[in-house]
Amino acid sequence: MEDRRKFSREQALIEAERCLYCYDAPCEKACPAHVPVPEFIQSVRTGNLKGARNIIREANPFIEICGVICPEFCSEQCIRGKIDTPINVRQLHKFVTDNTDPEENLEPAERTGQKVAIVGGGPAGLSCARELSRLGYKPVILEKDVVGGIPAQEIARTRLDEEIAGKETGFIVKHFVEEVKRAEVEFVGDLLKEYGAVFISTGLEKEQEPDIPGTDLEGVFFAREILKNVRKGQKSPAGRRVGVIGGGNVALETAAVLKAEDPGRDVEVIYRRGLKELKAFREEIEEAVERGVTFQFMAIPREIRGDAKVEGIMVTRARLSEPDESGRRRPEPVENSDFFIPLDTIIIAIGQKAGEKFPEIEKTAAGLIKVNDKLETNIPGVFAGGDMVNGACTVVESVRDGKKAAASIAEYLERGKA
Amino acid sequence: MYRERDISIDFLGIRLDSPFILSAAPSTDELELAYDGLKEGWAGVILKTTSVEENPVPLKYPMMSSFGPQSRKVTGLGNIDLISQYHIDVIEKRVKALKESFPHKMIGASIMGAKKEDWQSLVHRLKKAGVDIIECSFSCPQGSMGEAPGRMLAQSVEATEKVAGWVKEAAGDTPVLIKITPQVTDIVEVARAVKRGGADGITASNTIPSLLGLDIYTFEPYPSLFGKGGYSGLSGSAIKPITLRTIAEIARNVDIVISGNGGAFNWKDAVEFMAVGAGNVQFCTLPMHYGFRTIRDLKSGLAGYLDAMGFKSPADIVKKALKNIYSHEEIPAPKTRAQLIEEKCVGCGLCYVACRDGGHRAIEWRSGNVPGQDDSRKPAFDEEKCPGCAMCMQVCPVDAIRMKEQMDGRCQYYEEVR
Repeated sequence: MEDRRKFSREQALIEAERCLYCYDAPCEKACPAHVPVPEFIQSVRTGNLKGARNIIREANPFIEICGVICPEFCSEQCIRGKIDTPINVRQLHKFVTDNTDPEENLEPAERTGQKVAIVGGGPAGLSCARELSRLGYKPVILEKDVVGGIPAQEIARTRLDEEIAGKETGFIVKHFVEEVKRAEVEFVGDLLKEYGAVFISTGLEKEQEPDIPGTDLEGVFFAREILKNVRKGQKSPAGRRVGVIGGGNVALETAAVLKAEDPGRDVEVIYRRGLKELKAFREEIEEAVERGVTFQFMAIPREIRGDAKVEGIMVTRARLSEPDESGRRRPEPVENSDFFIPLDTIIIAIGQKAGEKFPEIEKTAAGLIKVNDKLETNIPGVFAGGDMVNGACTVVESVRDGKKAAASIAEYLERGKA
Repeated sequence: MYRERDISIDFLGIRLDSPFILSAAPSTDELELAYDGLKEGWAGVILKTTSVEENPVPLKYPMMSSFGPQSRKVTGLGNIDLISQYHIDVIEKRVKALKESFPHKMIGASIMGAKKEDWQSLVHRLKKAGVDIIECSFSCPQGSMGEAPGRMLAQSVEATEKVAGWVKEAAGDTPVLIKITPQVTDIVEVARAVKRGGADGITASNTIPSLLGLDIYTFEPYPSLFGKGGYSGLSGSAIKPITLRTIAEIARNVDIVISGNGGAFNWKDAVEFMAVGAGNVQFCTLPMHYGFRTIRDLKSGLAGYLDAMGFKSPADIVKKALKNIYSHEEIPAPKTRAQLIEEKCVGCGLCYVACRDGGHRAIEWRSGNVPGQDDSRKPAFDEEKCPGCAMCMQVCPVDAIRMKEQMDGRCQYYEEVR
């Protein structure tokens, strides 16, 4: 979908001028990558776009991708929002990246330090690699699939241009990574013999399945496999009447992608709570609505029905009670309110969970890797971040972890030297 | 029809239906323009400065340039214009035509001459054509003719008195305004010379000699005519404070009628001009920028203000502020401290930065960055350190700071309301 909010030079100037240039700016604090937002906006204001790029990329290696898909934690905290409307930081960010050259003023540091293994080449891993490289270490990426992670493989092309994702990943690998090795790592094993430290950023590998009958019927798919296929340019296997179970970004994005692929197809998001409780970002919701996706709120899935193939889903009407530990109101079934939604395809998008890898590393009850505040695991020298530690998170949150891990790894390696 | 509030005013015996007239400028340099302006509702026009037939007027284009902070382009407007290319033979016909079409509007003309005969013949011909008022340009920033070519006539006290005398001698009962420049050592001396010369009033003042700007990549001045440029006459909002001071200084020291000109951009500016001594207000940059239609807001804005203030006529405003304008040594010295209006503060921290890096380090910032400290994001003013300079008040985007002034057991609060 064409980004109608893309700024012209005049719009960028007017928007930049609205920025108050706050001290101790809440936007900067809210940004997981700590991009100094008022600083780069001041540079936009003066037409110093190269300076603005330097400021952003100093904090965030995924400058191109975040200019397109960042959920704008910054704007949510913008003080200008208390006066009228928050500054549209992401569009200003995008204005900078659209109008500057990534190769300019680039001087990669000389790498003379130890090798560090980075298991998983997604945003967290690549961010860690860039920071380590800048500190003089030699990051080696061990990746079983494609370097770039979710932005490169799963985010719909309609949202994130393939070229942007590919170029950005390629740029970081070219300038900041010592070597990329094709490898599936299941154990930390001997890695610490070959490398000074290890950073695990493999992401979540397994799909969460709803505990209801019928998930094995023909016509039931997981959202991520649909997104991966579509991203590769393949046609999705979805039929004419599609139900998407879930209320997060992946659910909404999948719904929007399927609608975009075939506008004549009915796509309905089935969610246990209401509109207010949707976990997806505002823009994801807006895009889905604009594309014609419909919603079945307050609907708890009970059973996927059909002979061999999906014929529909039985759901129970829900009402919301007290908030649960996530802060969202808990859905409770309403008695005798079951109803049937006829469908030929069901997409499951209720999240992912960690796999069984790295048994020697201490995990949480949810199977996520346990780390201390320096992102170090129970094994000295082994660090972890990104989805494997937090559950599903955004690119910019993965950047935060990658940077933090790099600083901890450098500290660890320095300590070792001493 | 709704009743229109009477905002008429007497100016040198001429009834103006509002205090707002179009000044001698490009907007009055064609008969059709003057006609349209009057039809739109302006109270009068002063046709662009004319001269005797043999005077060459080598206009050069482009003649306009501007500057403004970032996206606002016309805070200041510069021109390298000269007087009108139309000579007196054309202007006298226009005066006649306008007077016939608009017998109740003020039809004025501006003149510039080189020698006594020129000045006086211009006056005679205009009088014969039926002009209501004659304005004499003693202050074209591109220089005068005659006395000291290239220099502004009003920069010489002697020449001002002498030429004003020539004009008044020829004008007889027809009111004469002398348009002066603020670019002099002592504006009061010039005003006194105008009075001694016998003129009826002063137009205070004109555009101000300036250099509008440079292309920093070619080092050509703005406007650039094949790479070459020069000094411009500056008008617009940028010069309003200079004009205000000029009018006030004359009004406080010389008993003469003043027409305010230079930098008024809305009815509020006009009220300020009148409050320091102007009997009416001339506009040029405003209609050149946004058109003659701006008269409607000027009139209704003034009418609403008069109602709100309980004034009967615009004449009630004239000189209203003079009683409060003193020399620095006469201004009282209260004990002044900045005070926060808590409920208005949005927590941007601009006051903190301004005081920290631009003033007195009298504001403490409560950010919550320090454990145990409150995270209100509110400034706290240190009464001991604060001298009450008001810099914090200037930068506050939401007017959440006021000055508490104490003197002789009395206390008052001061906020700038614009």
